[in-house]
Amino acid sequence: MKLRHYETFYLLHPDLSDEERTGISEKLQQIITSVHGVMVKIDPWPLQKLAYRVQKQTQGYYVVMEYGASAESIAELTRRLRLDEGVMKFVTTKISHEFDAEALVKAQDESAPPAETVEEALDSTQSTEEREEK
Amino acid sequence: MRQMQNPRNNRPGRRRVYIRRKVCRFCADKSLAIDYKDHRTLRHFITERGKILPRRITGTCAKHQRSLTSAIKQARIMALLPFTSSHTIKD
Repeated sequence: MKLRHYETFYLLHPDLSDEERTGISEKLQQIITSVHGVMVKIDPWPLQKLAYRVQKQTQGYYVVMEYGASAESIAELTRRLRLDEGVMKFVTTKISHEFDAEALVKAQDESAPPAETVEEALDSTQSTEEREEK
Repeated sequence: MRQMQNPRNNRPGRRRVYIRRKVCRFCADKSLAIDYKDHRTLRHFITERGKILPRRITGTCAKHQRSLTSAIKQARIMALLPFTSSHTIKD
């Protein structure tokens, strides 16, 4: 089955315990991995203030989940998110139409070096400008 | 000295408006990506009431303004940004 690169961002109820939150996260991961999906990263945010009240709550836990999954499995994931009482809000977005796990791993490894090269490039352009002025 | 002066300045009743050329922040800094989860950056592009600031004020280019608009709307849905200031949580 063809995998696409998705991202699900969901908001959890502030009264949930750490175990309950990890439980929800694991359940969602299971849905994806059970249909040959690949997890990329899970990023739970600390308790955060909301911009407006949601279910009478002023705070909440956000979680970012990045993964590669088939289009069909998203329907099941959405159904689960709707059923779960602890999930106050969620949104799933497609990052890219193609999912290349190997390329992602490479990009993560190389995330540091390109920044240096950009700086070097900037330095070189500046020096050439100076030369032109002279 | 006469060369330095703008001829418009000499016209009576006409004030010279100083226009600073605004540059799109996202074009200037290519590494700065528009992300609906990054509400701290998006907050620069909304008013105190929560309205999306127009391009003529922020200086954002058309392409980035389009993606910025959708990012702000998405952030509003996720309660990261307010729809209106009247619903914001008071301390």
